[in-house]
Amino acid sequence: MDPFSSAALVELVRRAQRGDEAAQRELILAYQHRVAGFVFAMTNRSDVVEDLCQQIFIKMIRAVDGLQAPAQFESWLFRLARNTCIDQLRRQRLRRIFLPFGEEHENIPEPPGAVDSEELDALRHALAQLRPQDRALLALVQEGRSHAEISEILGTSVAAVKARLHRAREHLRAHYQP
Amino acid sequence: MNTNPEQDAWSRLRAHAAARLDEGFPDRVLKSAHGCPPHVWVRLRAVAADCLRPGFADRVLAAARTRLEMPSYGSQLALSALTAAACVAAVILFHHHELAAADARNLAEWRQIVAAAQDLDAGAR
Repeated sequence: MDPFSSAALVELVRRAQRGDEAAQRELILAYQHRVAGFVFAMTNRSDVVEDLCQQIFIKMIRAVDGLQAPAQFESWLFRLARNTCIDQLRRQRLRRIFLPFGEEHENIPEPPGAVDSEELDALRHALAQLRPQDRALLALVQEGRSHAEISEILGTSVAAVKARLHRAREHLRAHYQP
Repeated sequence: MNTNPEQDAWSRLRAHAAARLDEGFPDRVLKSAHGCPPHVWVRLRAVAADCLRPGFADRVLAAARTRLEMPSYGSQLALSALTAAACVAAVILFHHHELAAADARNLAEWRQIVAAAQDLDAGAR
C-alpha cells in the first residue's frame, strides 16, 4: 500500500520541507487517491472531494516545513485531512442554521455511474448514519493506520481508540444492508 | 391432509410472510452479517480517486504558489491596523493644532478687550 520505503519517504519529505517543488509534487501524486478516498468516506459527497483535497494538500505544502518528524508524515497528513473534513462538515451544519437550506439540498444525488454497485451504495448509506468522528476512525483503519497512530491523530489513548472502533464497527454493521 | 383450521391459518401466514422475502434475501442477510467486505472500501477509494480531475497535483502546486505570493492574512491585518492608527494620529494632530490656533485667537481677542478696557479706565480717570 505504501508507495515508498520509510527511508525514501523521509528523504522526500525533507526535500519537500526545503521547498523542492518536485518533491512536493511527488508527495501529492503518491497520496492524492488515498486522501480522496478518506475525504469521500468522511463527507459522502463526490462534489466536494477535489476542493477538499486541494485544501488539504495546500495546507500540507504550507505547513510541511514545521513537521518535526518526517517519518510521521502519513499520520500528520491524515490528521490534516481529518481536521479539514471535520471543519467542512461543521461549516455545512452552520450554513444549514443560517440559510434556508435543508439537508436534502446539500445531498446532491450522484451522477449516473458514480455509484456503481449496491454494496458501495450500502457502505455510503451506512457511513452517512455514523458520526463524523466514527467515520474518520473507520476510514483511518482502512488507510492502514495502526491503533497507536490513530490515537496520535485523534489525540486520545489507544484503549479509547479500540473501544470507539469497536462501537463504530458495530454501528456500521447495523446500518450496512446491501 | 390437514383440516385443522388453526394449522391452516398458520400455514397461510407463513406462506404470506415468505412471499414478502425476495430471492436475494439469504445473500443480503449473509452480507449484512459479515459486514462490509474490504473490496467495497477499495471501490469507494476508486470512486473518490475518479473525482480528481487529471492534473490535480499541478493545480494544487499552482494554487499553493499563488497563495504564497499573496500577502498573508496577518500582514494584511497589520497593514490595516497601521493605516487606522495613522488616520487616528492625523485626526488627533489636526484637532490639537486647531485647538491651539483657536486658543491663540481667543487670547489675542481677550488681550485686545483688556487693552480697550484699560484705555477706557485710564480715560475715565
